[in-house]
Amino acid sequence: MFALVKFFHRSPVRMAELACGLLTTLLLLGSLDAQALPLFARQTGQNCLSCHAGGQFPELTPYGRMFKMTGYTIGARTVPISVMGVATYSKVADTSKSDDPAADFQKNGAPLFATGSLFLGGKVTDNIGAFAQVTYDNYAGQAVGDSGNNDGRFQGHTNADNMDFRYADHLIDDKRDFVYGLSVNNNPSVSDPWNTAPAWMQYVPVPSPTSSQFIDGNAPFASFGSGGNIAGVSAYMFWNKTIYAELGTYQTANRGLSFLSAGINDANTTKLQGSNNPYWRLAYSHEWGAHNIMVGATGMIAHIYDLGSDTSDPGNLGRVKNTGLDAQYQYLLDPHTITAQLSYMRQVQDYSPNTLLNFASPFVLADGLTPVAAANPSDTTNVFRAKLGYVYQAKYGGSVAFFNKTGTANTLNQSSGFDTNGQITSTDPLGTGIASTRVTGNLSGNPATRGFTYEAFWMPIQNIRIGAQYTAYSKFNGATDNYDGLGRNARDNNTLFLYVWGAY
Amino acid sequence: MNYKHIFLAMTLGAIGAGCSNIERSRDLANPAVPGHVLAVQVCAICHGVDGNSTSPAFPRLAGQQAAYIVNQLKNFRAQGRSDPAGSEYMWGLSHHLTDAQIDDIAAYYAKQKVVAPDVPTDPKLMAAGKDIFENGVPAQNVIACAACHGPKGQGIEAFPRIANQHADYIVKQLNVFQINQGRPGTPMEFIAHPLTGDNKDAVAAYLQDFPN
Ligand code: HEC
Ligand code: HEC
Repeated sequence: MFALVKFFHRSPVRMAELACGLLTTLLLLGSLDAQALPLFARQTGQNCLSCHAGGQFPELTPYGRMFKMTGYTIGARTVPISVMGVATYSKVADTSKSDDPAADFQKNGAPLFATGSLFLGGKVTDNIGAFAQVTYDNYAGQAVGDSGNNDGRFQGHTNADNMDFRYADHLIDDKRDFVYGLSVNNNPSVSDPWNTAPAWMQYVPVPSPTSSQFIDGNAPFASFGSGGNIAGVSAYMFWNKTIYAELGTYQTANRGLSFLSAGINDANTTKLQGSNNPYWRLAYSHEWGAHNIMVGATGMIAHIYDLGSDTSDPGNLGRVKNTGLDAQYQYLLDPHTITAQLSYMRQVQDYSPNTLLNFASPFVLADGLTPVAAANPSDTTNVFRAKLGYVYQAKYGGSVAFFNKTGTANTLNQSSGFDTNGQITSTDPLGTGIASTRVTGNLSGNPATRGFTYEAFWMPIQNIRIGAQYTAYSKFNGATDNYDGLGRNARDNNTLFLYVWGAY
Repeated sequence: MNYKHIFLAMTLGAIGAGCSNIERSRDLANPAVPGHVLAVQVCAICHGVDGNSTSPAFPRLAGQQAAYIVNQLKNFRAQGRSDPAGSEYMWGLSHHLTDAQIDDIAAYYAKQKVVAPDVPTDPKLMAAGKDIFENGVPAQNVIACAACHGPKGQGIEAFPRIANQHADYIVKQLNVFQINQGRPGTPMEFIAHPLTGDNKDAVAAYLQDFPN
C-alpha cells in the first residue's frame, strides 16, 4: 500500500492516467462483486446508512463510530480500494467589484470535474486496519506556458489526503466495554469518531478555482492551526460507550513519514518543531432510545515554523494553541434522521520573531502620513459553528448552518489600506508603490466573518449525493460593507454551490 | 519518539500475532471465529451485548427463541428475508456465517436475560393491545397472537418471542408482512393482513411494555 502512495509521490498522475486508473478500478470492482459499494460497505456487506447517519456520508452513526474505533476491522477482507469523484458548479453573487474577474472568480458558473479521490484501506488483520485517501485536484495550479508565465490552463495534481492507520482491540464482558487503540495519522482529529471534529465537520470536497473561495467549505470552521499533512501518533480509548479519550503528538511528515504529505511540495508542508506538538480529545457520549449525544473538548499546541520552510533558524518558530468544545445530537430511526452539531474553537497564535521583525506595513492612515499601528505579536480568533440537519428516508435532506468568526484586529493581517495620497487603490495609478488587495482584501486587519449556509440534497442511490448550498455572508474580513476598502460588501460574496458527489 | 519504529512495531506485532486474534476477532469470514465472539464483537454494537438493544432501530434478541434466530440468520444469508432494513443491514453481515457459527450465536442470545424497555405507555393503548394479543380481533378474522407466540409472548421454537420487543420494530415488521412481502411464506402474512393502523400501534405498545 505504501508503495502505491510512494508511486503517486514520485510521479504525479496526470488526468489521463487517473481516468484510466479509475476505469480499471471500476471494472475490477464491478467484475468482483455485483453489489459493490465503497470498500468499507463491501467489507461488512452493509448499506452505507448502517455507518453513515441517514446515508449522508461522512457523518457516522454509533455503529459507524465503533467500526472506526475498532480499527476498520469489522467484516471480511475485501478489495481495499474505493474511488470518489466530485463535480461542482459555483456562482458568486457579484463579480463586478473586481479588477480582474477572470482571475478573482475563475470558472464562475462553469460545471467542473473538481476532484477525485482514491481510497485504500479496510481490514488488514483482526487488529489492524487503514483508511488512506489520495486526492487528485483537477484544478490544483495553473500551467506555465512557453513564455514562462501562467498561460491560464489549469493543471491537475495528486497528493496525500486524510490518512489513518490503526491498531485496535475491544475488550468486552458483563460490566465492561473497552475499546483501545493506536492511530498513526496525518491530520489532527482525523482519528476522531464524531463529525464535529475539525477534520470532519467540513465534508464536501472544495474545488480550487477561485469561484469557490466563498463556498461553505471555505467559510470559517473550527479547525486546528497546524493544518493537515503532518505526522502524528495517538492512543485512544472508549470506555463503556461513555468516555472517549485520546492523546497524541505530531511532527513534520518527513523522511520515513513523508508519504503522509506525499505530493505536497516542501514549501507548502507544515514544518513543526520536534515531536512535542500535543493533541488531546475528551468526550462524553450517551445513547438512549433512538437518540445519542456527545459533548466534548479538544486541543492542540503546535510549534510551527511560520516563515517559509527554513527550520534551521529558531527565529522562524511560532506557536499556535487551539482549544475547542463541541457537541452533537443524533436521532436515527427510519425514516427520520436528525442531527444537531455545535463546535467552537479558540486559537491563540504567537507569531515567530522573524515574522514580526520582517513585517513593515505598506499602509498609512487616511491622512496619508501617520503609519498604521505596529503588528501585534499574537492573535486570538474564536470560531463558532452550529448546524441542524434532517434527512428523510436516507434520500432527501437539508440543513441550515450558522458560522461566526471573531478575533483580534492586527495590521499584520491587513491587506488593503491607504497610500501616501490618502487613497485606497488596487492599481496604484499615482505610483506610490502601495496597492490594496481587492475581493480577498482586508482593510481592518480583523478576521470577523459571519453568515449562514442553507443546503438541500438528494441521494438517488446510496453512493451518489446531489446537493445545493447557498452561503450568505453578513460579515466578511471584519466588515459588512466595504471590507476591502474598494467597495466590496460581505453579501457580494454570497455563493451558490452545486455538487454531484459519488463514491464507489 | 520515533514514529517509524511505532509503525514497524505495529506491522511486526500483526505478523507476530499470526494476524488473527480468534477470541476477540471481528472477522465475519473466518469460520474459526466462534459465533459468540462475533455476537459480542460485532452484533452487540447494534443489538446490545446482552441482546437488549437500546435503539428501536435494532430488534432485541435477548431471550429470543434459538430456532427462530437460526431461521432468520439463514434467511438473511440466503437473501430470502428481503425487507429493506433486513437487506441493508443483515445480508452482508450474515453472508459468510457458517451453520455452526449461527447455532452458537442463536444459543448466545437465547440465554440472555430480558430487560424490559423502560418506556411509559398510555393505559388505553395497553388495554386495547392486551385485548388483541389475548383474543385477536374476531370481527376482522385476526387470531389471538398468544395462540402462536405463547401466553407470555415468549415464543416457542420457530415462533418468535415478541414480548418486550421495540414497538417501532413490531409495527415495521407487521407492515412488512402486510404490505412489503419481504418475509414471505409465514402465517404472519394472513394474520397481519386485516390489521388496521390502530390495531398495530396498540398491540405493539402492549408487547413492548409486556407485563412480566
Ligand atoms: C449495523 C447494525 C446491525 C448489526 C451490527 C447487526 N445487526 Fe442484526 N439487525 C439489524 C437490523 C436493523 C435488523 C432488522 C432488520 C429488519 O427490519 O428486517 C436486524 C435483524 C436481525 C435479526 C432478526 C431479528 C428478528 O427479530 O427477526 C437477527 C437474528 C440479527 N439481526 C442477528 C444479528 C447478528 C447475528 C449480528 C452479528 C453477526 C447482527 N445481527 C449484527 C442491525 C444490525
Ligand atoms: C398462526 C400463528 C401465528 C399467530 C396467530 C401470530 N403469529 Fe406472529 N409470527 C408467527 C410466526 C411463525 C412468525 C415467524 C415468521 C418468520 O419466521 O419469519 C411470526 C413473527 C411475528 C413477528 C416478527 C417478529 C420478529 O422478531 O421479527 C411479529 C412482530 C409478530 N409475529 C406479531 C404477531 C402479532 C402482533 C400477532 C397477533 C395479532 C401474531 N404475530 C400472531 C406466527 C403467528
